Amino acid sequence: MSHTLRVDWPNCKAHGICAQMLPEVVSLDQWGFPIVHGPVTHEVLELAKSTVKACPTLALRLTQPPPRH
Amino acid sequence: MDPVVSPGPALLAGIGDGPGLEAHRGRFGKSPWPSAEQLIKMCEAVDLRGRGGAGFPAAIKMATAHRRKAVVVVNASEGEPASRKDAALMALAPHVVLDGAAAVAHALKTREVHIVVPSELASIGFGLEKALDERVDAGERIKWQIHDAAPRFVAGEGSAVLELLAGRDNLPVTTWQPGAVSGYKKRPTFLSNAETFAHLGHLARLGPNGYAAQGTAAEAGTTLLTLRGDGWDPIVVEVAYGTPLSDVLTADEMDQPLLLGGYHGTWLKPEQLAAMAVSRIDIAAAGATLGAGVVLPLAHGRCPLVRTEALVDYLAGQSARRCGPCMNGLPNLAEALRDLVHRGGPVGPVEELCGLVTQRGACAHPDGTARLVTSMLSRFPEEVDLHSLGECRGGRDEVFA
Repeated sequence: MSHTLRVDWPNCKAHGICAQMLPEVVSLDQWGFPIVHGPVTHEVLELAKSTVKACPTLALRLTQPPPRH
Repeated sequence: MDPVVSPGPALLAGIGDGPGLEAHRGRFGKSPWPSAEQLIKMCEAVDLRGRGGAGFPAAIKMATAHRRKAVVVVNASEGEPASRKDAALMALAPHVVLDGAAAVAHALKTREVHIVVPSELASIGFGLEKALDERVDAGERIKWQIHDAAPRFVAGEGSAVLELLAGRDNLPVTTWQPGAVSGYKKRPTFLSNAETFAHLGHLARLGPNGYAAQGTAAEAGTTLLTLRGDGWDPIVVEVAYGTPLSDVLTADEMDQPLLLGGYHGTWLKPEQLAAMAVSRIDIAAAGATLGAGVVLPLAHGRCPLVRTEALVDYLAGQSARRCGPCMNGLPNLAEALRDLVHRGGPVGPVEELCGLVTQRGACAHPDGTARLVTSMLSRFPEEVDLHSLGECRGGRDEVFA
């Protein structure tokens, strides 16, 4: 079962590190805020965990399905 | 603006008697206190849904919150700026709401009830204090606490209300768990809007059969609506589910586009209204929702695109400016829509921005704004074409804030 990357939007300050570290799952909109465009598959799970830890404002979380949003 | 309210079949039956406890008890009798199991069963039997907008099943919320150290929160600070039904209920029938809150508190074995009132309508807070004094004098052992919500759209959102109670800014935050699991001080929190508690009290009093005397076999009970339009005061009515929309609106209004569900709502075309009833099922089949019961008919000669543009401009200004996609996306959406509606600009950027703000915020403010715009585009393609040619069938417009 795949995980979902969720963004804590009020805490996200558009550093963009997530899109650099995890382009398989995250791209950036025109203002630099993340667009989560897919699930976190098993292949990128470890990388996703590192990405969550690397966020400067700790605005990312990995959640097990089903996500509520 | 004070709404015009007439007596209704259930919740608003006693408003002619005044807001006092004695008159209330005289009409409705003493409120019974069912156990959580009993109250949950009653909610299931009539499929009672929350009346704040999302329509969440009350039975599930109560079953989830039915754990140790539960707490009850009555949200009377309607987020929808056009809505006046909770204000009307609090002002004219406060004990109808408070009976429901007391019944839920008893069922969840707590004495702690928080009530959040809109700070911009000071009379509601005063009236509520008086009503609570009456209940305390009558020997009710509940610890009621009143909180004032900030006068802004997103302040009434559930997570924003919990922030207010926690002593922080009255603004939405990201929630990782439902409030019924972990809400106020991480306690199981039964948070619903004022009308929902009024229905819960009524249900506890009458039981499922008595409650279902109003409404249809599929949808029991009544619902409160706020009607607003150009040049007249807001009207709050209580109608049974299944009431034809043509009983609520005038013939002229039935011939015009209707914005249903408030500023976060959905446009409907006149031909969609003809056979429609005040019914969650009917309205969902038309691709809309009743939301918090706001019904906004458009006056003859007004243009739904011009109205939408004015609303989105207002909604963009109501962003709490904390979530990037909303803070950046809504002003851009407002600008793209202004371009489309008033300068014959393209549709593409409007559609793109609607997609970009959806599901990318702590609360549903951007989602609701995008829904309003998307429904405008899908319902009125001919008007959109006209505007791209620089033409419009309507005139000036205003927003009810």
